[in-house]
Amino acid sequence: MMPIWTKSGKKHAVTLLKVQDCHVLRYISKEESDGKKAKLLVGGKNVSPFSKPEAAMEIFKEAGVPRKQKVTSFNVTDDAIIKPGTPLYAAHFRPGQFVDVTAKTIGKGFQGVMKRWGFKGQPASHGQTKTHRRPGAISTNKAAKVYRGKKMPGKMGNIYRTSFGLKVWRINTKHNIIYVNGSVPGHTNCLVKVKDTKLRNYKECNKNPPFPTFFADGDEKLPEDLYDEEIFQFTDPSVTYA
Amino acid sequence: RSSSDGEPAKFQPPPKPVIVDKQRQRDERRFLSPEFIPPRGRTDPLKYYIERKDMIQRRKVFNIPEFYVGSILAVTTADPYADGKTNRFVGICIQRGGKGLGATFVLRNVIEDQGVEICYELYSPRIQEIKVLKLEKRLDDNLMYLRDALPEYSTFDMNMKPVSHLDHDEIPVNKLQVRMKPKPWSKRWERPKYNIKGIKFELPEKKMKAAQKWSQPWLEFDMLREYDTSKIEEKIWREINEELKK
Repeated sequence: MMPIWTKSGKKHAVTLLKVQDCHVLRYISKEESDGKKAKLLVGGKNVSPFSKPEAAMEIFKEAGVPRKQKVTSFNVTDDAIIKPGTPLYAAHFRPGQFVDVTAKTIGKGFQGVMKRWGFKGQPASHGQTKTHRRPGAISTNKAAKVYRGKKMPGKMGNIYRTSFGLKVWRINTKHNIIYVNGSVPGHTNCLVKVKDTKLRNYKECNKNPPFPTFFADGDEKLPEDLYDEEIFQFTDPSVTYA
Repeated sequence: RSSSDGEPAKFQPPPKPVIVDKQRQRDERRFLSPEFIPPRGRTDPLKYYIERKDMIQRRKVFNIPEFYVGSILAVTTADPYADGKTNRFVGICIQRGGKGLGATFVLRNVIEDQGVEICYELYSPRIQEIKVLKLEKRLDDNLMYLRDALPEYSTFDMNMKPVSHLDHDEIPVNKLQVRMKPKPWSKRWERPKYNIKGIKFELPEKKMKAAQKWSQPWLEFDMLREYDTSKIEEKIWREINEELKK
């Protein structure tokens, strides 16, 4: 995470996400995925091909791509279909767009009810016998049962969670890095899925993306760094207020 | 010279004069700002490389001088709510924290009997100018104990004139031992974990000995805590110098 300053002098914290060897693996048509939308399977981060059986390697062989650590699916419309085997880059996103970032949260193991659900527990003194971090009552008398989904101790973390509506401040095309506002679930160097926002308020901001994706061998030559309009770039002189 | 066995003494040639090359000394005395040194962790070094590029960019446009904890600085920042839209503050640097772009330093001064500490970010674009009025080091890396010291040790004149410092001189170490206000203090500075050398403790011997109970003499031999930054510093020093020359 890094600080980023806007032209008005405000500071924002920013998470760096690196797009590492992402390739499109397979196209699943509308009928096959028995829904309304077609799917594209995308894989990221190359790993060694030797520790999995041949059956698992089929997808990668078809696409002509080394084995990937993570394979996710994205719902796409028919005009956004990409040929399997195309690499995907950070320039697929542009500064000023809004994204949702999904990742597995940091695993905390088996945790009690105070850490897991934020219960208040009991006082430390004034006669409490062996009861300081317990849940207390778990249901009422009339119910005569414990409801399903009652908040109780258990394994916490290591589940997929999404941060919605994160602004993209900057894109580094040379190292394929996306600077995304705020914090993102997961530990450092974990694998993360970045999608366009589903929030209605940011629909206009995502209006002109590179469609269907940014092709490196195409005509467009991008500069090494793409900044949002409001970012203070370090080549400018210091901020002054008129 | 009298010889031990009565014979005339052998001719001893005079010792060779030691020529101290000031230019060489200046080159060898390299100051790498502490926020460039990456902390120990599992982050990708690429992240630090990119952050360093941004830091060098900022340093090309805006001069961040060399200073240490204990030097007196004057900082002017842009302030939308002040007259003339700038705000100037003079103080002694008591702490330098943070790594990378978020590096900070805290300046302390006593203005009209009120102690004031301001934490500035080195790379914030609102800072217009950082001027070193007096460049010196102190016996400690962290002068937070000035909060519990007598206020005379933290007062500095706002219109202080800059003290000239020649380039090739060694940085003077101010061996001032500060006198404290009566206890209670904000932290128990006599305890060995803070390892403070700049306080003149006027506590009874018994209290000083009792404080040594909290010493952890095994810490300096703990190999897992060692972080040798000499090679990293060399690499970063070369990288920064190359970039700054461009």
